[in-house]
Amino acid sequence: MNWTRSARAVLAFALLVVLHYTVRPLLGWRTPVDFLVIAVLLSAVRVRPGAAALIGFCTGLVADSLMPSAFGAGALAMTAVGATASWLKAVFFADNVVLHGFFFFVGKWAFDIVYVTAERRMRGVELATQLLLWSPLSAALTAVAGVILLLMLRPVLEPQAA
Amino acid sequence: MARAVRSGTRVDTALLVACCAMALLATVLPLNLREAIAGGLRRTVVAPLVSLQQQAERGRSAFLSREATTSRLDSISLRNMQLAKLESENERLRALLGLGRQLEWGFVSAEALRVTDIGEENTRTLTVGSRAGVEPKTPVVAPEGLVGMVLTVDPASSIAILWTHTDFAASAMSADRSAYGIVYPHLSESGRGEGTPPERYLLELRGVAFRSALKPGTPIVTSGLGGVYPAGIPIGSVLGELRTSEGWARTYLVRPAVRPPDVSNVIVLLPGKTKDQSLDRVWRSTVSADSAARRIAAAGDSIARRVAADSVRGAEAAAARRAADSVAKGVARPDTAVRAPARPATPRPGGRP
Repeated sequence: MNWTRSARAVLAFALLVVLHYTVRPLLGWRTPVDFLVIAVLLSAVRVRPGAAALIGFCTGLVADSLMPSAFGAGALAMTAVGATASWLKAVFFADNVVLHGFFFFVGKWAFDIVYVTAERRMRGVELATQLLLWSPLSAALTAVAGVILLLMLRPVLEPQAA
Repeated sequence: MARAVRSGTRVDTALLVACCAMALLATVLPLNLREAIAGGLRRTVVAPLVSLQQQAERGRSAFLSREATTSRLDSISLRNMQLAKLESENERLRALLGLGRQLEWGFVSAEALRVTDIGEENTRTLTVGSRAGVEPKTPVVAPEGLVGMVLTVDPASSIAILWTHTDFAASAMSADRSAYGIVYPHLSESGRGEGTPPERYLLELRGVAFRSALKPGTPIVTSGLGGVYPAGIPIGSVLGELRTSEGWARTYLVRPAVRPPDVSNVIVLLPGKTKDQSLDRVWRSTVSADSAARRIAAAGDSIARRVAADSVRGAEAAAARRAADSVAKGVARPDTAVRAPARPATPRPGGRP
């Protein structure tokens, strides 16, 4: 990975983080699009699993700082998602839009499962509703947004060789 | 090569395990420690993101409250518009009260309802009729002066013509009784000269003796001649002389005291009041009566009462607070709180044993 590609990847990552803290509160949906998961997944497939885990951990910690009651849960979930995505990139990250969408969907749902479990706040019906209804819906929206963003950011992330 | 790959895998695993361990550790940290770390992050690295999030949330709440704010603004504007109308109506009613107090007896107050039909703009339907003692040709007045005359009467309502009606005529004089004439509506739609707009809602004082010259601004009142209108009701004031072909009499243009659009509440003078009565003094003292009526109304104003009650309540609360403070101080300072020992009773010189 050369420096230009690294810089572009960092720029795309920063853009997604900014989107997470601007577009998400602006929309205020019950099933929000998780731009941080998209950012971590897109970064994870470009680095080694260890680095992906570190990126996920840092991103999760930043997200957790706004919710001290669930501090650490986001970091754990992002670490797991980032590392897993990096290990499985050869399997899932083929150049296919549908597969990309599926990748984002599974990544977000997995994040929610780890997060809600580590947070230990929800129980019973509430937990089931969250994991079987709201999380898949949020994951679907994240997948759609991720695919759209990937198509938009493709020139930045994967520049044509001269 | 294989060794390098193995080493890389080991580093990856170590990083993953370390990250997971730190994340798990973070979840089990005491709340105050978690809050301290999170607060540190919020104040440093995450500060720009927190600011962005706050701005976005503020934008969203502003967007959501936009419709409610708009509708609230609309309703306030509407209420404001109605307020001006209510204020003017209130003022007219107060003036009417003052006039009624001066008249003392022989009148009924009525609402003058506007007839919307074409050609009926010079008449008003009054909400009083023969049951209230109203008869045809009884004068209709307002606090400012003469409005017109009752034309037809029904048991519960009547129809009055305004001074703008073509059938209107009233015997009039200058307030100092130096000039007499007949007042008619000024029906010319053309202006007095080039550049002046057509004159509506004006009167003409016709048949004034040639020797009686009136200056602009001279008040014109009813003269009492003719038996319909009692003397002393203001009609208007002289604007200027009109040039006519008649060489033996003068005609003056008169600005009326009452504007037809303002006619909403009126007083109908009953026949007993109009016979051989001069109402000179009534309108002369109406101005002072009006101000007196305003004072009375202000004293009875519910808002004023409420403000007064609030101020009394505030004063009572302040007094109670002061009393509580002084008691507290008394408790804090035992030397003042404890009552001084009673003096031994000394017999008064003239007292009972």
